[in-house]
Amino acid sequence: MNNNKYKIRGEKLLSICKDAAARINKHKVDEFEIFTASSVENEIEIFKEKVEKLTFSDSIGIGIRIFNDKSIGYAYTTVLEEDSIEDCIERAVYNSRVTAKEEYNFLPSAEETAIKEKLISDDLLFRESLLEYSIEDKIALAKKLEKLTGSKDKRVVDIESVTYYDSIYETVVLNSSGFCDKYKSTGSMIYVNAISKEGEDTSTGDYFGCGRSPSEINLNEVAEKAAERSVSILGAEKIKSGVVNVLMDPVVSNQFMGIIADSVKADSVQKKKSVFRDKIGEKIFSIDVNIFDDGTLPEGLSSMPFDGEGVIKGKTGVFEKGYLKTYLYNTFTARKDNTFSTGNAARASYRSTPEVGISNFYIEPSRNSFGKLLKDMGNGFYVIDIIGLHAGVNPISGQISVGAKGLWINNGKPSHPVKEVTIATDILSFCKSIKEIGSDIKFTPSGGYIGSPSLLVDNIAISGK
Amino acid sequence: MIEYKVIKKILNILLGNGADFSEIFVQKRSFNGLRLEDSKIENSTSGYELGCGLRLWSGDSTFYAYVDSLREDKIINTARVLSSAVNGSSLVKVMDLTETSSPYNAEIKKYPSDVNAENKKNILKLVDKTSRDFNSAVIQVTSFLSDVEEEILIANSYGAFSSDKIVKTLLSINVVAKKRNNTATGYKSLARTMGYEVFDFKEPAELAGEASEIAINMLDAVNAPTGELPVVIGPAFGGVIFHEACGHGLEADAILKDASVFSRKIGKKIASEAVNAADDSTIKYRWGSYKFDGEGFPSHKTVLIKDGILKNYINDLKTSRKMGVKQTGNGRRQSFRDIPIPRMTNTYIDNGNEDPKSILKSVNKGIYAKEFAGGQVDPATGDFVFGISEGYLIEGGKIGLPIKNAILIGNGLDILKKIEAVGNDLDFAPGFCGKNGQTVSNEVGQPTIKVSRITVGGTKSQDE
Repeated sequence: MNNNKYKIRGEKLLSICKDAAARINKHKVDEFEIFTASSVENEIEIFKEKVEKLTFSDSIGIGIRIFNDKSIGYAYTTVLEEDSIEDCIERAVYNSRVTAKEEYNFLPSAEETAIKEKLISDDLLFRESLLEYSIEDKIALAKKLEKLTGSKDKRVVDIESVTYYDSIYETVVLNSSGFCDKYKSTGSMIYVNAISKEGEDTSTGDYFGCGRSPSEINLNEVAEKAAERSVSILGAEKIKSGVVNVLMDPVVSNQFMGIIADSVKADSVQKKKSVFRDKIGEKIFSIDVNIFDDGTLPEGLSSMPFDGEGVIKGKTGVFEKGYLKTYLYNTFTARKDNTFSTGNAARASYRSTPEVGISNFYIEPSRNSFGKLLKDMGNGFYVIDIIGLHAGVNPISGQISVGAKGLWINNGKPSHPVKEVTIATDILSFCKSIKEIGSDIKFTPSGGYIGSPSLLVDNIAISGK
Repeated sequence: MIEYKVIKKILNILLGNGADFSEIFVQKRSFNGLRLEDSKIENSTSGYELGCGLRLWSGDSTFYAYVDSLREDKIINTARVLSSAVNGSSLVKVMDLTETSSPYNAEIKKYPSDVNAENKKNILKLVDKTSRDFNSAVIQVTSFLSDVEEEILIANSYGAFSSDKIVKTLLSINVVAKKRNNTATGYKSLARTMGYEVFDFKEPAELAGEASEIAINMLDAVNAPTGELPVVIGPAFGGVIFHEACGHGLEADAILKDASVFSRKIGKKIASEAVNAADDSTIKYRWGSYKFDGEGFPSHKTVLIKDGILKNYINDLKTSRKMGVKQTGNGRRQSFRDIPIPRMTNTYIDNGNEDPKSILKSVNKGIYAKEFAGGQVDPATGDFVFGISEGYLIEGGKIGLPIKNAILIGNGLDILKKIEAVGNDLDFAPGFCGKNGQTVSNEVGQPTIKVSRITVGGTKSQDE
C-alpha cells in the first residue's frame, strides 16, 4: 500500500476540463463553467488497540453548469469517459431549459476572476509531509491517542472510538469567460470519544485535532481535553429553571457562530430566511465584536486561492466593532444586491452548484484569559457541550433552544456538574448578550472552518426541573 | 453489470493475502433534482455515478476501498492494493455464487426516466400555487422534487449474490407564513421506494395544503411552558422520538462497543408493558424498505421490544457474527463509497389499544407534540433532544393553543418506562438519518402515545 505514493493530478484534471470545454463549444450555449475535483482519502478507526476499519477512497468527478438565455442547467458525473461527458453536457443543456430565467444568471467577469495578486500560495495549503506518512504511521498515531486518552483519568473506562482521517484534494475551475486555474490541498484530522463511569453514571466527552498534516496535531492536548470533557460531567444533575449567566466553551460557541454564519449568507437574507435582513449598518452586538470571513488565513483549513466560481478569495469584515458590515456573496446573490462577490461561492462537491458558503469564519479573540471570564461570571452555567442544535434552531424566526451539559460555577469556581437542561435564546438576543470574549480561540471544521474563543453571555433562559 | 466470472476473480484477489472474507458492491445511480423557491424553478440538476466498493475482513479489522469505475482493470488494481494491506493466515476460498431470494417484491409503475421534465416542473408549480392559495399569510414556499434510479449488485466470498433495481421518489415542501411580527414554518414530505405513482397515494396539492396548515396554525403560537410535564406525542412523525432515543442505542455496533445504554439488556424489561416495537424493511414501498440491504441480505422484520421486554438488536453481517445472533438485514450503506453499518429501516412503536382521544382526555395540563424538527442522541448515555415544530398546549384534556420552539430533553431508557398509554392509530413518516457521515432513508412510526413526564425547554421571547 505504501509504495503507491500519490501522484499530483492537476494536469490530468486540466486536460479533462479542456476536453469537456471543446465538446461544449460544439453545442449552442451562451456560457459555461466546468468544475472538476479529485479527492484521495484515508480513514482509520481504532478500537481496543486494533484496527477496526481502514478505508481508502479515491474519487474524481466533473460538474458542468450551462448558461442559456439566462437560465442555468447543471449535471455531474463520475464517469470521465468521452461518451459519459457528452451525456453529462447534454443533460446540463436539457436542464437549462427547465429552470426559470434570472437576469443575473451569467458568469463572473474576467475582471472579478483575474488573480492580481495571489493572496494564498499552494505551499500553504499542501503539505508534502502528509504523503510521507505510511498507513502504519497513521495507525500508530491513532493507537497512541487511544492509549493517551485512557491514561488521563482513572474514570475513563472505554474509548468509544478513535478516528484518523486525511485527504488530498485537487480541483480545477474553467469557464467560458477565460478563467482556468487549479489548486491542491491536504488535510488531516483525529477524533476521540471517551466514555467514563463513576458508580451508575456514564458520561461521554469528545475532542479532535486537525491540521494540514498529522505533524500539526497535538495528540496530548486532544487526549487531555476529551478525558476532561468526559469525566467533568460525571454525576451531573438537572438544575432549576431560571435566567442565568452562561460561559460557553469554544466547542459550544463555535456552534453558535455557525448559526450566525448561516444567517449572513446573502441567499438566506435575500430569501427572507435571516434575522439580519435589512440590518446592514446596524449595531448587532453590545460590545466591539469583530467577525471575519477570511479565505486567506494562513493556518485556516478553508483557505483557498479562489472560490467555486473562480473569484479570488480575500478577507471580509462581516461584523466590525459590533456593526453588521456586509453579507457574504457569490456572483448571483451579489448582482441581486448590486454589489460584488465576496468570493464565497462554495462547492460542497462536483455534485452541487456553487452556493454561498463560508471559508474561515471566526470571531476575533481578545486578551481575556479563560480564568478572567470565569471570575467575571461569578455565578452561572459553564456550558461544555450542547446537543440537538440542528433540531433546535429556527433560522427564520431566529429562535434557538438546545440541550446543554456542563458545570455550575459558584464565585468563579466549579461547584457541581449539570445535564439535561435546555438553553433558550434567539440569534439577535444572543448577539446582544455577549459580554466578554476570551483569548482561547479554537477552530472547528464544519461546512467551512469556524472559530471562536470562550464567550461570556448573560441573561440566558435555562430550563431544567 | 459485471460478469459472474469477473466477480469471482475479484473476490479471490481480495482474499489473496489471507483475509477471512471479501465482498464487492456495485452501483449505478441516476439522480434528478428540481428545486422551487420564490415561485420559480431555481435549480435543475442531473447526476450519473457508478462505481464499486470492495471490502474485506481480517480478524476483527475491516478494510475498504472503492473505485469510481466498473472497468475490470481498475477494479482489479484496487482489489490488489486493498488486499496488500492485509497480512493474514486464513486459507478460505470464494464459494460458488448462489443468488439470494427476498420476500420483498414490489412492482414499479411509473419510472422517473419516463416522466418528462415538464411534468415534474408542473408538480412543483402546483405545490407552490396550492400552498400560497391556502392562506394569504404564506410568504414563501420551497419545494424539492427528486428521483433516483439505481442498480446494485452485491456478492461475497461466502457465495451470496444479490442484485436489485431501486426506484425512489421524494417531494418535500417547506412553507413560511408571516403575520405581523410572527413568522412560522410548516414542513411536509412524501417519499416512497417507488416511481411517480407515489402521487397516487397522495396528491401533491394535498401535501401542500398540510404544510401550509401547519405554518398558519403556528403563527399564533405562544411561548412554551418549561419544566417537567406530561407529553402526548402524535402519530407518524412522533416516532422520531423512538428512532433517536432508543433505535440508535439498539444498533449493534454501539452495543459491541459497550457504548449503548441498551447493552446487556436483551430479555430484560426496558419499557412499560404497553410498548411493542419493531424494525421492518419488508413493508412494501416504504421509504426505508428494500429487497436487499447493503450487504445483499434479504429484507426482514425484526421485533425489538415485545410487551416492554427487549428482544433483539439491529444487526449487520459483522455484528451478528460477533454476537452469535441471526442477521437482521440492517447492514446499510449510503453508496458504493461507504462501509455497511447497522442501521434502522422503518422503525416503529406498534399499535396499542387506546383511543387517541381518551389519551388526550387523560391529561389535564401538558403538551401535545405533533411534528418534530429532528433530534439528536448520545447512544452511550441515552441523552436526547428533540425540537418540536408543531406542538400545542393540552388544557383540561383538550388541545389548546399552539406553542413555539419548544424542545424535549431527556433520556431514552427513562422515557421508555414512562410511556403510560399507546394508541391504536399507527402511522408512518419518511425522513433521512445520518450516522458516521452516511445518510440513508428511513421511516419512523408510532400511534399516539403518552409519556408521563419529559423536560420541556421553552422559548425566551424577545417580546417578553
